[in-house]
Order: sequence, then C-alpha cells, then structure tokens
Amino acid sequence: MASYCSLLYAGVFLPAVVLCYAVTPQRHRGKVLLAASYLFFWLVSGKLVVFLLASAFSLHHFGLWLAAVQEERGRLLAAADKPERKAIKAAFQRRLRRILLFALLLHIGTLLTLKYAAFFSANLNRALEAFRLPFALPVPAFVLPIGISFYTLQAASYLIDVYRGTVQADRNPGRLMLFLGFFPQIMEGPICRYGQTAQALWEGRPFTWHDLTFGMQRILFGMMKKIVIADRLNILIKGVFSNPAAYDGGITALAMVCYTCQLYMEFSGTMDVVIGSAEIFGVRLPENFRQPFFSKSIAEFWMRWHITLGTWFKDYIFYPLSMSGPLKKLTGAARRRLGNHFGPLLAGSAALLAVWLCNGLWHGAGWQYIFFGLYHFALILCGSLTEPLARRVAGALHIDRSAAPYRVFRILRTGLLVCVGELFFRAEGLRAGLSMFRRMVTGFTLRPFTNGAFLELGMDGHDFFIVAVAVLIVLAVGVLRERGVPLREALGRQHIAVRWSVYYAAILFVVIFGAYGVGYVPVDPIYAAF
Amino acid sequence: MKTCILPLAKGACFLSLLCALLLAASFLFMPKNNHKAFGMGNDELVAGGILGERENSIDVLVVGDSEAYSSISPMQMWDEHGFTSYLCSTGGQPLYDSHRFLRQALEHQSPKVVILETNAIFRPYKLSDYLASRAKSLFSVLRYHDRWKALTVNDLSGPMGYTWTDDLKGYRYNPKAAAADARRHMLPSEEMQEIPPLNRVCLREMLDLCEERGAQLILVSTPSTLNWNYPRHNTIAAFAAENGLTYLDLNLMTDKVPIDWKTDTRDKGDHLNYSGAVKVTGFLGQYLKQTFDLPDNRMDDAYASWHSALLRYRNTVSG
Repeated sequence: MASYCSLLYAGVFLPAVVLCYAVTPQRHRGKVLLAASYLFFWLVSGKLVVFLLASAFSLHHFGLWLAAVQEERGRLLAAADKPERKAIKAAFQRRLRRILLFALLLHIGTLLTLKYAAFFSANLNRALEAFRLPFALPVPAFVLPIGISFYTLQAASYLIDVYRGTVQADRNPGRLMLFLGFFPQIMEGPICRYGQTAQALWEGRPFTWHDLTFGMQRILFGMMKKIVIADRLNILIKGVFSNPAAYDGGITALAMVCYTCQLYMEFSGTMDVVIGSAEIFGVRLPENFRQPFFSKSIAEFWMRWHITLGTWFKDYIFYPLSMSGPLKKLTGAARRRLGNHFGPLLAGSAALLAVWLCNGLWHGAGWQYIFFGLYHFALILCGSLTEPLARRVAGALHIDRSAAPYRVFRILRTGLLVCVGELFFRAEGLRAGLSMFRRMVTGFTLRPFTNGAFLELGMDGHDFFIVAVAVLIVLAVGVLRERGVPLREALGRQHIAVRWSVYYAAILFVVIFGAYGVGYVPVDPIYAAF
Repeated sequence: MKTCILPLAKGACFLSLLCALLLAASFLFMPKNNHKAFGMGNDELVAGGILGERENSIDVLVVGDSEAYSSISPMQMWDEHGFTSYLCSTGGQPLYDSHRFLRQALEHQSPKVVILETNAIFRPYKLSDYLASRAKSLFSVLRYHDRWKALTVNDLSGPMGYTWTDDLKGYRYNPKAAAADARRHMLPSEEMQEIPPLNRVCLREMLDLCEERGAQLILVSTPSTLNWNYPRHNTIAAFAAENGLTYLDLNLMTDKVPIDWKTDTRDKGDHLNYSGAVKVTGFLGQYLKQTFDLPDNRMDDAYASWHSALLRYRNTVSG
C-alpha cells in the first residue's frame, strides 16, 4: 500500500474499512477506525509501528502529567493568599515548562535523530576534515517510520495546547491514538490539531449516502490529478532531473514547470483522496490547499499551499518567537530607529528566518531543502521591504494595482518564482540545482519546442494533450472555487442520471487516460518521504 | 444499521453499472488481433503469439520467466522430434502471470504437457500487483487503456481474430557469451527456501487447472548459477513429491545437460545463451518424447507453417 491512490488502498482497504464502519454500532465506530489505522500503519511500515505506539503512549502520559500539575496549581492558588499567588504561579510555570520541554525533546528528538542524524554527522565530518582534525563521527542510517514528520508535529501541537490550556488533556488513550494515527492522514497529513479532529474521529459519525458520495467525488478528483497528470509527467521529469547536463535551457525550463505541476497535482491530489476518505466517515479534515497558483505574492502562496504546515509554524514557532522578550525588545528598538513599517519588519524577520529554516529542514535533510526554505524567506522579506516602493512606483506610473492585467502579471510572476524554487527542491543536490538554474538562464532557447526535441523525453503529443486537458479541468474547478461557486453541492442537486453520468465519465477518464501499467512508473508519494 | 442499508444498496447499484461500463470499454480497448500493430504490448507480444496458433495444435506449453525463453527452443524440438511446443514466457514473469498465460492458452489449446520453469516460483510480488493482474484479466481496459492513442473505427465493431505467431515460438535467440564463475554453484545443502505464500496459492491453482484440463504439469529448473541453488532445489523437490509431480533439476543433471559455464551463458550465469539452450533442449525434447509419447507431426500437412518457421529459425540461429 505504497500510496493512497493504489489499488490496494482505494479498491480493497478503504472499502473494507467503510463496510466495517457502516455495519458497526455508532458507539464502537471510533474503535473500528483505530484498529484500521494501526493495521494500515503496520501494513505500510511493519514493526516501525512501535514508534507510533510509543509516541501515542508518551503523548497520553505527558498530557495527563501536565493536567495533574495544572490541577495542583489550581488547588494551591485557590487556597493561597493574594501575595503568595505570584510565587506559586511562577513556580508552577517553571515546572510545566520543564515537563513540556522534556516531552517535546522526546518527540522532536526522535524525529531529529532518525531523520537528521546522518545529515548532521556527514556535514560535521566534512567540517572536521576541512580543519584536518583526525576525528570522524559515524554516519547512521536509520529507517524512518512513514509519516513521522507529520505525526510528530501533531503530537507537539497537542502537548503545547495542553500546556497553554487551550485544550484539556485527554484521558482516553484510544482517542489520542486515533488522533495521532488516523490512517488517511498518517502518510502525508494534513497536520491536524487535537481540537479539529480528535472528538469527531472517536465519537463515530452517522454513515450517510451524502458523505459517501461526497467523499468518493473528492477521492476521484484527487486520483485524476495524481494518476492522469502527476504520473504521466513522471517519465519526463525523472529523465531530465537525473541527467540534467544532457539538456539545454529550454528543456530544463520545461522540466521545471512540469515538476511544479507534478508536485502540486501529486500532493493536492493525495490530499483530495485523504480528505475524501475522512469525509466518508463524516469527518472534516482541514484543507491543505486553496488554489495556490492564484496567489499574487509568495507570502500569499504560502497561505494557500500546505496550509496546515504553514499555520503550525506560525502558531508554534513564529508567534512564540515574536512574542519572546528579546525579540520584543528588538522590535521596540527597531521601531524607534526605522519607523513603523521597517522596524517591526526587520525584527520580525528574525522569527521569520527561524520559520523558514525549519520549513526547509522539515522537507528533508539536505542543503537543497535549506536553500529552498531560505529562498522563500528572502522572497517574502524582499516583498515586504519593497512594498512601499512598489506602491509609490505604481502610483507614479498610474498603474491600477487592482486591475485585472496587473493581477495577472503578479500571479504569473509568483508562479515563476515558485517554479524556480521547486527546481532547487527537486534537483539532486544544491550543486545540481544551481547548475540547472544557470543553464536555464544562460542557455534558454525555444529550439527544443520548434524542432520537436521536447517530444523525445518519454512523452508524445498525445501525452502532452491529455495532461493539458486534465490541467484545464483542475484550473476550471479552481476558478469556480475562487469565485465561491459550490460546485460539489451544485452537482449533488442534479438528477441522479446527471450525477451518475458525471461520476462514470470521471471514472472512465481516470481509467483510460491514467498513466499506469506497462511503460509507466508512478511517482512515489512525494510528501510521504518528508 | 437500517440507515446503512440504503447507501450500501445504492452503492451496489452504482458499482454494477460501473462494471457494465468497464466491460463495454474493455471490448473497445481489447486489441482486435495479437499483432503489434493492433496494440499488443512488447513483452506480451511474443508470449501472446500462441493465440495465433491453430486450435489444439500445441503439444507442450511452457510458462515461466526469462530462464525459460533463454533455455528452451521449441523449433529445435520440432526439428528433432516433431512435436509442437510454445513458450508463454516474459521477462521477470511473476507466478500470477504464468497462471494467466496458462489460463489464456488453455482456452484454445489442449497440451499434453505443461512445463513450469521454477524460477518464477520464488519471485515474490505484492498483493496489490496480484489484485491488479486479476482486475486486468476481468476488465481488459485496465491492461490496454493506453490504446486510446491508436483507437480506430474498427475497434468499435471489429471481431477478435488472432493471426500472428512467433517463428521462434517464444524462444529468444541470444548467441553472446560471458563466462560465469560456477565454483559455488549447487553446493549441497539441507536448507530449504520458503515459497512465498501467495505463490503457493497460485501454484495450487495452476495444478488444479492442469488437472482439470488433462495436462501433465512438470516442474523444470533450467541451469543458472545466479538464480538456482540447493535450498531452492530442496523446496521444489519436496513440493513435487508432495503433489506427485515430475521435477527435473537440470542444474544437477550435468551428465545429461553438460553446461560449460565458460561458453554456454550470455550474462555470467544468469541466463543460458544459444549453445546452452541447444544442450537443454536436446535433453528435454528427448525426455518429453519418450516419457509422454508425444506425436510426430512433421508429415502432417496441417503443420506446414511449422516447416516454413523452421527454415526462418535456422536462418536466425545460423547467424
């Protein structure tokens, strides 16, 4: 079950769980999902399921520990005189913080060790070698449990929320285990908060025709994105990125655009399957994408792309850092010297830098990922710094910034910047990325498109045509969503003959035009590797 | 519970209609001939050549992976003994595909003997691949969906007719030589290598199918230093004894099949080359002829095409 779009998942596992869920009394449905989730993890990762179980166990334990200390604090505060209260609060705050730090160290430390130990050791060894020091650290090679980057962030958010008092510690270990390991989201997210899904998952929602059909609709749409578009582009992308020196700037640019398209279709398509799967069980997972390629700036792009990761970083890294004592002081000082726009911006950029370093590293242990994070940090910072100048220039040139042509220009500019970032993201190392970028800028020609060389990359004219058709379908759906048209509800109101005809047409579209079987290599779930 | 019945009933209705649509699409997408120009995939083309053979004209059917198509030459057996055989072999053939080819061939042929080359028995595969293969057998649109690029009006109404067959009858000629180090080949051992559970199920189904169709299933391990060893031999010998099957391990029959690992392999012991195949086929042809009393069809006019194929085969192997 390597992917949510595999036959084993969509054709066997999910239907079997749906059937069990539907015939089980409502009060036990949460347990069905729990059993299915840990079976799923075991089928995908085998004995590495112990990592997830250990994480869930410690989450339960630390949550209760924090709650017990908070209760004790409440009791003591109620009994204490006013002058004593401050000291009690401070003492308990220190205690709570120590427990939280210990819990976070355990969870995030496991992630850091398994995912980054090899990267850090290898780089440290390189540094030691450069200084001609006669030491070398062993470079470990750990096997990563699938989805560890996702469920660790969920676990951390639960612990911090309990510490902050925004959620109550859960006494039910089953509910926590299901919150952490719910099978549709365990491989690629979305990264949910305890308050968003835990209760809905555990209580077992009624099984309805509406949820079933809406869930299936969403799954089908996701499969179209993944199987028709992302998988069909795979052969071209693999060919160019594995041997970039063999291709000129035009082909490199084509591969860059194709990869950006593939990444979006694969990830957002998988999210459609994931959210659709949860919808069948009556559970609404948070959206991870909101038409990101309609963004007019990089900052907006990140509010529409991998939304749950962005909000996680915002809530648990950016805000706490911005609100920390040293940064508050820095903001105040900068505001006095640089004014109300640049002052807070410059001070806030320190927190922003931390966020983007974490974002880059979260995606993988490699310098190209760090570069990817810093690239987006630089773009967002530049965007904010130059905003007053851009307004002034637009005003001087009498450009209406809200007019359609200017909006289109900004959308295209953002899309291009995103594509360049993804080139580095996909390249096999930072050096390869830089060399591809250089070739694309200095050696760009339209020759491969006029002499037909672009049709010799594993995709013929038919392939490009069908990809274009599918992309246009996704684009049309995106435009309707942007305009707030409730497309699925509108379809749901149609006569059964119309509805079913649309469903059958969509299924046949995927079956016939999907890139599977002999001659195709489906793209591995890209985000599951993070 | 009651609230579940309506959605489940509606779902069943939806799926039934979907199956009907997929069957209709399967008819449309199914290649109307087994020729490459009609959309047969490269790998399946040669193995599928058996569909172009006259009905009930094949005496021995061989299924298995590349070990089979590198080691057994049907035209040599025809030339020397006059019985017909065909190899439904593909590279890296999983056992469920061996089963599929067997099922497909037995729809039009009634061979006396079915040979299973044993290397495929140890090739593990994923449950999802097996299910996909089953689904593709049920709805051939899943196998041939890529034909949308080349569909013509004939696909709408054209009848199925298989007219193409392979002159080498599934054998793939390769004269290259790359010597193998055979010093550790077939070192005696008491160990056994387990057959993957899904393959056990598949083997049982193949066994039942052959029994049902009155064909004798025999297991043959063709020589290979890289793929065959004693633990595998022990397992297959035990399986054959358990099920009353004939088992020929040509890796151990060095007196009858004297493979010279310096000259008879094309890729350092992985597969045999033409000279190795001549040795294997020489023994196997004689064994099959004597053991199963296979007919000599060389004087039968109905097999005229085999004579012309033999001439082309001779041209091919004479370089």
